[in-house]
Amino acid sequence: MTAARRPADAGGRPLLLALAGLTLVAFLISLAVGYVRFDLVGALEDAIHGRDSLAALALTELRLPRAALGAAVGFSLGLAGAAMQGLLRNPLADPGVVGVSGGAALGAVVAFYSGLAAALPLALPLGGVAGAAVAAIALYALAGRGAGTMTLILAGVTINSFAGALTALALNLSPNPYAATEIMFWLMGSLADRSLPHLYLAGPLSLIGWALMLSAAPALDALSLGEDTAQSLGFDLARLRARLIAGSALAVGAGVAVSGAIGFVGLVVPHLLRPLVGHRPGRLLLASGFGGAIALLFADVAARLLPVHPELKLGVITALIGAPFLFGLIDRMRREG
Amino acid sequence: MRAFPTAGDGERGAAAGAAFPRNWGRRRVAARLCALALAAVAAVSSPVLAKPQRVVSLNQCADELVLRLADRDAIASITWLSQDPREADMAAAAAGLSVNDGLAEQALAYRPDLILVGAFTDPATVALLRQVGAPVVALDVPETFDAVRRQFRDVAAALEEPARGEALVADLDRRLAAAEAPVDASRPPLRAIVLRPGGFTVGPGSLVDEIMRRAGMINLAARLDVGAYPQLPLEKLVMLDADVAVVDDEGFAAPALAEAALAHPAVAALARRMRFVSLPSRLWTCPGPALADAVRVLAEAGAAARRGRAER
Repeated sequence: MTAARRPADAGGRPLLLALAGLTLVAFLISLAVGYVRFDLVGALEDAIHGRDSLAALALTELRLPRAALGAAVGFSLGLAGAAMQGLLRNPLADPGVVGVSGGAALGAVVAFYSGLAAALPLALPLGGVAGAAVAAIALYALAGRGAGTMTLILAGVTINSFAGALTALALNLSPNPYAATEIMFWLMGSLADRSLPHLYLAGPLSLIGWALMLSAAPALDALSLGEDTAQSLGFDLARLRARLIAGSALAVGAGVAVSGAIGFVGLVVPHLLRPLVGHRPGRLLLASGFGGAIALLFADVAARLLPVHPELKLGVITALIGAPFLFGLIDRMRREG
Repeated sequence: MRAFPTAGDGERGAAAGAAFPRNWGRRRVAARLCALALAAVAAVSSPVLAKPQRVVSLNQCADELVLRLADRDAIASITWLSQDPREADMAAAAAGLSVNDGLAEQALAYRPDLILVGAFTDPATVALLRQVGAPVVALDVPETFDAVRRQFRDVAAALEEPARGEALVADLDRRLAAAEAPVDASRPPLRAIVLRPGGFTVGPGSLVDEIMRRAGMINLAARLDVGAYPQLPLEKLVMLDADVAVVDDEGFAAPALAEAALAHPAVAALARRMRFVSLPSRLWTCPGPALADAVRVLAEAGAAARRGRAER
């Protein structure tokens, strides 16, 4: 972090309030947009009064879980991206790039196709969390402690391809002959036709993950001054690492288990918001969470509005926007040497 | 889609034939003759020449037709899928026959004099089979009952069993006549929608659409996007407010993401307002007499739905 410091209140409460407000707006737009137009107010009244109308059913059982999951998964991805970038002190760290999402997808696939998730629904998000945790620990072992960008990316490529190969293996061993086909689309990420039970499964685990990551904000600010400085300020780095890895594994793992792997949100959002919070990694956390929620909600609205059938996968939309951004970022890093 | 091999296939076979052992030369000539003969049959439709003696089917739907139309002695191999006990009818007929996994190498090992493939058989496999001069008949996916009858006759002709082909057509028509819902202009048709795994439905221009029409139902998918297999998000399903939803809940024994949509709470809530009818996809996946059973199952379910609505 070499950029000049902004005044102490940069990225303070006004920014967070604005981002939270935008998240609410995006959530409401996501509720209002769908495949079919219906009277939203009437549907809401029906739902509140317990009247059994089709519009109320579509609103409460389809649009509400979709919007809520979009906000929650986006928040997880943005927050985890900021947390990993702070921990590894590298702007290219992102759950998708470094393989944590890939690990989570592997865990979820194993939990689902082994039949474990059918016997115990909680096995699905827990499988995602376990896969994400293994990937995050492997990443830290390979590229932790301020390793260079090259090492980080190589570690990410390795973890991603290994997780991808194991996912293919798990699908090969599945008794369902169509598993490989259906998972190919699932892996690209989508929020279509998700239900409230998905939210109940992924929500609590994600909340614990958010709390763990957000509680690390002061330590992350100290870490930006260097490991020695952070230690001399009284922060226990081993505990900080454990907290951030566990937190991102919980949030990303539970999110990926219900939505599939959605890339680039955790990469682009922290990068855009970093100047607005005075380049302080601690402050970036909450701001990136809201930013991720806004980005994913709007991407999901776009998925439903674009005249492409079947609808575009969320991971495709985020990649279409995010990949050029990543190219630009790499180009700039190369020129800055 | 070309239903019959032509002499041109034999020409290509001759070019590739040198790579095979000597007795392949004889086979190649025979195959070429057979191809020519078939072309002749197609042209003048006169029953001539010997029946194919070593028929190999690389497609599950072709299996059924071969089992129904050919002499059992003439069947060299069918796909392993047809011995799946979940499809009891065919499995009983297929028991004891030699099976393949749809690979060209396996097919050629039987020295076939007729090979049946499906529209979605690996193009590389089909190209290889045509190259070595084996007569290949490719079955398309019929979209109407007329096309089904045509396919029965085409396969019967390739097997040199035209009489059995006519019998199979007559059997289908007899069963259809018994199964179809009586036309009653005073009642509007039931408004129905098909739910397929993976969030898809079935639109106009498909066999299922005609099955629904013959069972006295109108397919609401016609109102959605164009195409025979449009996507159906649950939100559209909810707002369609159909009378009947046609599902295949026999489904997989193994976990399948594609089935998740049917477990959605919104679908459970819908079940209070519309009737869910189970139509096993095995009844209509392949052209055969079972298509009439599909019409019967749907027509009976439709009648039950009308009674249920009248009681409410």
